[in-house]
Amino acid sequence: MGMASPATDEDDEALAARAAAGEGLAFEALVNRYQARVYRLACRMIGNDGDANDVLQETFLAVHRGLAGFRAESRFSTWLYRIATNAALMHRRTRARRPAESLEAFLPRFDDDGRHAGEPADLRAASRADEILDRKDLADKARAGLERLPEIYRDAFVLRDLEELTTAEVGELLGIDAAAVRQRVHRARLMLRGYLSDLVGVKA
Amino acid sequence: MTANVACRDGVDVLMDYLEGVLSAADRGGVEVHVSGCPRCAAFIESYRETPRILRAATDAELPADLASSLHRFLASRR
Repeated sequence: MGMASPATDEDDEALAARAAAGEGLAFEALVNRYQARVYRLACRMIGNDGDANDVLQETFLAVHRGLAGFRAESRFSTWLYRIATNAALMHRRTRARRPAESLEAFLPRFDDDGRHAGEPADLRAASRADEILDRKDLADKARAGLERLPEIYRDAFVLRDLEELTTAEVGELLGIDAAAVRQRVHRARLMLRGYLSDLVGVKA
Repeated sequence: MTANVACRDGVDVLMDYLEGVLSAADRGGVEVHVSGCPRCAAFIESYRETPRILRAATDAELPADLASSLHRFLASRR
């Protein structure tokens, strides 16, 4: 049949098999399908000041080189996420750490009896951050908030809560067990929740 | 976990609770506490909303020029 054009509903694994056999169009189709997701992941994990573009290029170059060894027992998307996550982590290692004021100050506060210090209306306020803040402002602040998360919490939070992988998948990508994933994601949620509260003018 | 759960105890296990990995006894302890604690109910609502808000706010779009430079870059390496 010669070169079948990549149908939009063809599954990833079938495309990957054709790309591995040297069909350029199949590889292009995979790039088109995943480029936006890889870019978004990179922005979330390392920021988008040019580094995300490097991660994007490195990821698809590695995908292209690795396709011959890709076995369809695992899902293509899982395999791609592994490559992209590793590229982002490697990239971050090579650049200077920027000291960021930590978000620890935004952890929840309790009184001596272990009760929440704030009133219900204040404790709920973070839920409305997206109604109260201007969209662009919230996007900038969200990015800044991720930058201020300690990296181990950021990675787990980005993969679990922003990219919506399962806890088990995140554990596999980061090389930690499920309990550690939950602990890190929890910590990140607590800090970011307090950070959102602070953005809407409430300390709770 | 005893029946005497304080807000802090519930917060400590909140992720485990939401992921369904708490023991039945601990789960019950949290539920009894939260059902009578408006502060915890409010806190949990904001805790659950936090990922959604951050997810929407960091949904970066791939700029068209980066997409074209990616395709050029890959074409040059194939």
